[in-house]
Amino acid sequence: MTFIDWAVLVVTTLFIVLWGIWKHRSARTAAGYLKGDQSLNWPTIGLSVMATQASAITFLSVPGQAYEDGLRFVQFYFGLPIAMVVIAAVFIPIYYRLKVFTAYEYLEGRFDVRVRLFAALLFLISRGLAAGITIYAPAILLSSILGWSLELTCLVIGAVVVLYTVVGGSKAVSQTQRQQMTIILLGLIAAGIAAALALPDEVSLGDAVEVAGALGRMNPVDASFALSDRYNLWSGIGGGFFLALAYFGTDQSQVGRYLGGRSVAESRLGLLFNGVLKIPMQTGILFLGVLVFTVYIFSAPPVFWNGPTLERARAAAPAAIAKVEADWNQAVAAREAAARELIRVSNDEVAADGYDQAATTLRDAQAHMNAVRKDAKAEIKAAVPTAELEDRDYIFLDCALAHLPKGLLGLLIAVILAAAMSSIASELQALGTTSTIDFHRRLSKKPIDDQKTVRISMAYTIVWGAFAIGFATFASLLDNLIQAVNILGSLFYGTVLGLFLTAFFLKKVTATPALLAAILAETLVVTLFFATSIGFLWFNVIGCGAVCGLALLFQAFIPAARPPVARGPASP
Amino acid sequence: MTTPPPASRPDPEAPPPFLGTWPRVYLAVVASQVVFVLALFGFARACS
Repeated sequence: MTFIDWAVLVVTTLFIVLWGIWKHRSARTAAGYLKGDQSLNWPTIGLSVMATQASAITFLSVPGQAYEDGLRFVQFYFGLPIAMVVIAAVFIPIYYRLKVFTAYEYLEGRFDVRVRLFAALLFLISRGLAAGITIYAPAILLSSILGWSLELTCLVIGAVVVLYTVVGGSKAVSQTQRQQMTIILLGLIAAGIAAALALPDEVSLGDAVEVAGALGRMNPVDASFALSDRYNLWSGIGGGFFLALAYFGTDQSQVGRYLGGRSVAESRLGLLFNGVLKIPMQTGILFLGVLVFTVYIFSAPPVFWNGPTLERARAAAPAAIAKVEADWNQAVAAREAAARELIRVSNDEVAADGYDQAATTLRDAQAHMNAVRKDAKAEIKAAVPTAELEDRDYIFLDCALAHLPKGLLGLLIAVILAAAMSSIASELQALGTTSTIDFHRRLSKKPIDDQKTVRISMAYTIVWGAFAIGFATFASLLDNLIQAVNILGSLFYGTVLGLFLTAFFLKKVTATPALLAAILAETLVVTLFFATSIGFLWFNVIGCGAVCGLALLFQAFIPAARPPVARGPASP
Repeated sequence: MTTPPPASRPDPEAPPPFLGTWPRVYLAVVASQVVFVLALFGFARACS
């Protein structure tokens, strides 16, 4: 990192954090601190919702995902716009009408306190663990650049976020997210331009896309159906819809963002803004990963992306690693030659007949590289038995360090830090609010005044921050980070969403059948996760369907159940 | 003093619009995404 990079990074990050703290340091009523006095307009809500979801994982992990697997991850978001419409039409008017602080308050009015606490507990478990992963992702980046230990880096990032979240409350979180999202979008555009410029002069952007297509990276839609396939059209529209409905409609880290809106219309527009922009934005980030893939076709990639682990393997077994690296270099050279031949044939009308042959040669070269890399991973594992072999999250970082010009690297790191802080802040604020409102204040025998509510919420935010930092130190044991977060969410979201949909639409169902159904559905989902290979997105559908179906079934067999309080969805 | 011409008043006999303002917005959101995905699919097919 040069001086210019450091200057860009420090000035950008400090400005956003200090501005957030200074501007909103005086919010001291519960409504002001927890809901930002309901004064936000739709652009702020829209960017805040987007920034909450777009964590550092998005920028570290998604390009790595595209590098190895192409564009098909975008299908994960296909159900999101429909979910946004449903939330705007059904969920938001109910939350506004009941003037709730958290989504789970609604469940007590509709069922009883047990159902509210069960749903809030599932949220605290899933989001508490996810917050740890959200801290870990940028810590990978900073620790490798600064030379700090991962533990220290997690502690520093977590402490900065806890500071401005605790001091500024909900409004500071939303307002800083607006600046953070602006920096993120600018940084992404700059990174895309830099990646395109990193291609050799004789290789155009069109040539790069053609090579990526020949190697199966231009694959945004896969209409084949398989339950075990994580990303296809059907899991994206079906599972993705339920996941998005649960995440944006019932996860307090998102509900808290749009509950701060000035009106129902502002909140709706903020969510629909995301419904329109999310798929194009994710396509752009994935395309950045595809570009990185093509950049490394023409500039030698390492055999293993986690540099420090590769160094340890070289030290432990120099001969074995040297041999696989020599094989790797040959395979890389063969693939580059095949890619250049494909481009030559493609651009030469006379030689066009040889296109299929050139494409086949290129695909064979890629398959050989994959085989060599598999052997290399086995050698690394043999040399360093404790090594984590999942290295996709390091790909984009390696590319940025190698190819970005002065100043831009600092901006990109600022982008990743901004994304990390915006997500962690929302998560910690939601965890603090839910612990305070749904547990502490609800279960307290004495009434708690406004100022004490704010102080308790601050204390819980600090406690959850400490928990998330602690869990972050275990995150290196996980698979690809973006998948880890989504899998974790999918294990719990289906059940919580099922409770809300039962509350909204199955008006005959009372509290006890709903609670029993939720407990059984959660047990079923966790059992299926460990016992089967079903793609994780389907757990959202299974959990939600199980709650609704079992609740109806139990209701039929519990004649003594009390009639529910009649609260259905408001008309949009 | 003049009264507005009858044509500018809302017609109480007129049928309600097929979709209200919000449903139209919702439809536009979903339609825009369908168009984007179809265009993306077409672009990717052309590159493969």
